[in-house]
Amino acid sequence: MALIAGLALVVIGVFCDLVGSIGLLRFPNFFVRLHAATVGTIGGAAYPLLGVALIALACDFLGQARWFIATGSILTSIIVILTAPAGSHALARAAHRSRLPVEPKVCDLLEEDRGGRE
Amino acid sequence: MDVETLVNVFIIAVFPLFVASLVLYVVRLIKGPTIPDMILAVDCISYDLSLFMALLAIYFRSSFLIVGAISLALWAYALDLYAAKWMEGRELGE
Repeated sequence: MALIAGLALVVIGVFCDLVGSIGLLRFPNFFVRLHAATVGTIGGAAYPLLGVALIALACDFLGQARWFIATGSILTSIIVILTAPAGSHALARAAHRSRLPVEPKVCDLLEEDRGGRE
Repeated sequence: MDVETLVNVFIIAVFPLFVASLVLYVVRLIKGPTIPDMILAVDCISYDLSLFMALLAIYFRSSFLIVGAISLALWAYALDLYAAKWMEGRELGE
């Protein structure tokens, strides 16, 4: 049961990875690409790492190594869940404050509030 | 089919999909018109590689590969923060 759940999580993760990479390639500007990148990091790395932990716990042929692999995977997953949103928020804030050119722009209320270009 | 063969076949089957998404990320990394796009692509590549190293740790039955996965995830966060700091103030802090 744990094995099937782990394999399913890894399959979902690979799907999210492909979707995120296609989105990162096709989307028009940085702030839209950030959305695709978040699909690729949380859906494509954090949940599959939990799946890897479940797979490792179900694999008896690994011997003692399975405890190390499961603990490390869960630890990496927690690190990714905590740090990926913080990192992308910092990157988005820095990109907006450094006046990154945004090509198809409808409106930018934050820039108007700060007394921006227009 | 026992568990060992199933897991090995699964990891080998998943490998090309990983490589495909990594190649797409690398295309964005090379094309990236601005610096934040490249940073974003490097981020995604590091998180993907950490997942892939966890899968390889099961495939090669080695518990040492998982240490690399943890440090890759932490490295991506440090890269994010330092790149954001540099883009805002053009300095990295003393």
